[in-house]
Amino acid sequence: MECYSELTCSLFVDGELTGDAARHLRDHLVTCQRCRDLVHALRAESRVLTESLRELPEEAPSPEAFSHLGFSWVWGDLAMMAAVLALGSTLFIWIDHLEIPGALEWFNPFSLNGLTNLMFNLSYYFAHGGTAMLTEYVAVVGGLFLVLLLGGSVLLLGRRWRLPKNGLGLLIVLLTFSLPGFALERRHEEFVTIAANQTVDDTLLAIGNTVRVEGVVNGDLLAFGRSVEVSGTVKGDLVSFAKRTVVSGSVEGRIYNFSQSLDLDGQLGHSIYGFTQSLRVADRGHVGDGIVAAAGDVSLEGEVKRSVDMLLSGNADLSGSIGRDMTVTGRGLTLTNTARVGGNLTARVRQLKGVHIADGAIIAGKRDVQVRVRKSQFARSRFYFRQALSFASAMLVGWLGLVLVPGFFRETTQAVGSGWRSLGLGIGILAGVPVAIVVVAITLVGIPIALMLFAAYLTAIYLAKIWVGAFLGWILLRPTGATKYDWLLGLLLGLLILTIVGFIPYLGGLVRFGIVCLGLGAFAWQLYHASRPAMTA
Amino acid sequence: MDAKRRRLTVKVKQMEERDLESVIERAQGHDAEALGEIHRRYVRRVFGLCRYMLDSRENAEDATSEVFLKLQRSIESYDGSVPFPQWLLRVAGNQCIDVLRRRNRGRQVIVEVEEGVVVEATSSEPSPLGAVIRMEERAQLRVAIAHLPENYRLPLVLRYYSELSYDEIAQQLGLRRNHVAVLILRAKQELRRKLAHRSK
Repeated sequence: MECYSELTCSLFVDGELTGDAARHLRDHLVTCQRCRDLVHALRAESRVLTESLRELPEEAPSPEAFSHLGFSWVWGDLAMMAAVLALGSTLFIWIDHLEIPGALEWFNPFSLNGLTNLMFNLSYYFAHGGTAMLTEYVAVVGGLFLVLLLGGSVLLLGRRWRLPKNGLGLLIVLLTFSLPGFALERRHEEFVTIAANQTVDDTLLAIGNTVRVEGVVNGDLLAFGRSVEVSGTVKGDLVSFAKRTVVSGSVEGRIYNFSQSLDLDGQLGHSIYGFTQSLRVADRGHVGDGIVAAAGDVSLEGEVKRSVDMLLSGNADLSGSIGRDMTVTGRGLTLTNTARVGGNLTARVRQLKGVHIADGAIIAGKRDVQVRVRKSQFARSRFYFRQALSFASAMLVGWLGLVLVPGFFRETTQAVGSGWRSLGLGIGILAGVPVAIVVVAITLVGIPIALMLFAAYLTAIYLAKIWVGAFLGWILLRPTGATKYDWLLGLLLGLLILTIVGFIPYLGGLVRFGIVCLGLGAFAWQLYHASRPAMTA
Repeated sequence: MDAKRRRLTVKVKQMEERDLESVIERAQGHDAEALGEIHRRYVRRVFGLCRYMLDSRENAEDATSEVFLKLQRSIESYDGSVPFPQWLLRVAGNQCIDVLRRRNRGRQVIVEVEEGVVVEATSSEPSPLGAVIRMEERAQLRVAIAHLPENYRLPLVLRYYSELSYDEIAQQLGLRRNHVAVLILRAKQELRRKLAHRSK
């Protein structure tokens, strides 16, 4: 009898041969070695195929990250955001413990309100400072960012051996920043308007009270102003520093937003990266990729194709649709009947009371809503570890001070004892230096000096607790010999007391504020004293 | 000892099945937690199928999201006649084919251009794929599958990933059963050729 074809054997192995045909083949296999071998080989092949397909091809990363975290695609961008926000967040953490009356919030340079006010006013001053000056600043800042980004990229490359696509986009934008002469069109007027029939072929740097794009910008748009409105088309990215940004036209790239408010009522090709007080995607708004934002309040009425990751100080309202996961940390969350989340919903809120999810809302994945327990920090080991670390580093800094500048250290510590003088001087410096930084940043000497001043300001704030701690220990122990070790012991005791007192609710914040003022005042007084003989000599 | 372990495995399986039944029932009643549980259990398998069927990871992620979004409605039509994972993979397969069809502007994904002629493998050359056992070889095989042309890849994946019958595959792809058989065999021959090439 003639042998069977491979096709028939294959059908047999896959259980697709029926009735008589299968029986005949089975009979044939008893006598034919060749067909038996073929069937065995095909069977082994099917098994290998089934088993191999249980895993994904190596080029495709595991879906775990996508399904669980939902933002594996933004890791690189998150790293970029983190680099930009790192400085800000350290300030936020520090200021978190300060209790300032609500009415004075606008004055507090570290609150969201104060910070955005400061930032937007600063960008507005920039806008009125003259193009030439700004170009220079932009070159300096661009260079600085470039160094930061290159450093960050090296780290990322080390980890993943490739530069994330979006990060690369940002890098290119900033490269354009740092090379102001390269394919960059600059406009600096009260009203910068690209009319409906106008087309800008290069990247456009627009500075003005109002920046309005009704026509087409073929490159990126970098806009500084009170109000930025895009009703036309931006083919590249939109980088916006403004009090208010409204996009009702289309942006084909990404939006990097540092505006007080951002309204998207049009089409966006890729993602929004935002640091903003209020973010709204209106019902006609469409985001082609995802949103990564640190914001006050967010309202999503339109469509976001991929994931949304938000860190909010206020509420998130969703009545539109999100293609993938929604991850929110904030005060409250509302999903209306029309809301649609294509992946998991992960929310960390202050109170469950603030969460309203309508019955009609569709969530395809898991729903994980938890109350962010902020008071339980004392129950977490990480908290003690952090405190121990911060305590140890403060002791180390104190010890260094005693070894390197023993005289200055002791005199500053004693200057704390002057009480009201230090306190008053400290308050003046705490409030005055940020203003000085802003002023310095917009006058002749420029941003590098302002940055140095800012660094010195932060250092002085950090050192304040050391002076006050040492002073407290000193009056408690009253060391007779006053050796280095007596001072260190005093510092240990003083810092310990201050740390513990600092955690008393309400009073603690006030105490911390007082410590910063006292220490700053004493430090400034002593610096003034130390420099005086040199000046008179 | 072995028999004991086997009995235990069967027991665990039965328990899981009962558990799954109740989860599905609750999901059919629009219980969000149950739907979340199904998502947790099967998102990986569904994504895997989409990943093998579609050309990019983004598209596969989109399709996976879409499958689970639609599941809120479509699960009502699940009647228990086939095991749930198989049913879900069939839904996912349909979703992927929809995506591919949209991309082809409504045209059929695989077009029958010729009669099912198969080049027979010579009898002295048994399949080298059966001997693919080592991990790195399997990884190579997976990459080779991912790079197969669409008309070979889709039927192959539907057969060996979703474990659909030739008739079901024919129905999903809008082809004749014989043609499906031919395509699957050609896909295997192509894989053999690629792997033999690589190991040389």
